[in-house]
Amino acid sequence: MWTEILFLATPLPAPPPPPDSVFGLAGAWAEFHGCVRASEHGKKISALNYDIHEVMARKVLTAHLDALAKKHGLVAARFWHRFGTVPVGEAAVYAAIAAPHRREAFAALAELMDRLKTDVPIWKVEAVPA
Amino acid sequence: MKILYFAHVAQALGRREDVLEVPAPVSADALWEQLLALRPALAPYRATIHLARNNEYAGAADRFANGDEVALIPPVSGG
Repeated sequence: MWTEILFLATPLPAPPPPPDSVFGLAGAWAEFHGCVRASEHGKKISALNYDIHEVMARKVLTAHLDALAKKHGLVAARFWHRFGTVPVGEAAVYAAIAAPHRREAFAALAELMDRLKTDVPIWKVEAVPA
Repeated sequence: MKILYFAHVAQALGRREDVLEVPAPVSADALWEQLLALRPALAPYRATIHLARNNEYAGAADRFANGDEVALIPPVSGG
């Protein structure tokens, strides 16, 4: 499976189209943008700060993507996560999954985001008050 | 061994890493004893931290030796 995992300290760029390697294989390319809301635990905020253990996060994510690829027959996956300060409204995470059919793509994308919150060493460290 | 701190734990300690020497490979409990002696401010976090050895979550049988990189992983919250 084609996989791209990036951790960026800058705003996430506009995602490019699926890689050429999935041409003709993927009937579905499902995308998710996770954005910072204007409130955290009931308080207004202007940004969230994220920290990451990059090497381990990449390793854990790769294992999750390999497992999801086997389970759902995926052909490509892209996962980007921002660290440092992420202002309200901007994306902290972008994930995309290519699969032969939409059900597998949607299911794998949802599972990937659930797995992110179980053991991938990335943290919201603090909310910056508005 | 190199000890890595992240997120709230790094903030509480005011540092992101330490170096710890052990005379022989140690269990997680023994490592924690040394860590708490070095950084008593870790005490409130111990119950929720998972140890990772060389970029993999450590199991109960793992031993930690000089040359290992040990990360203290508080509950994750990405996304």
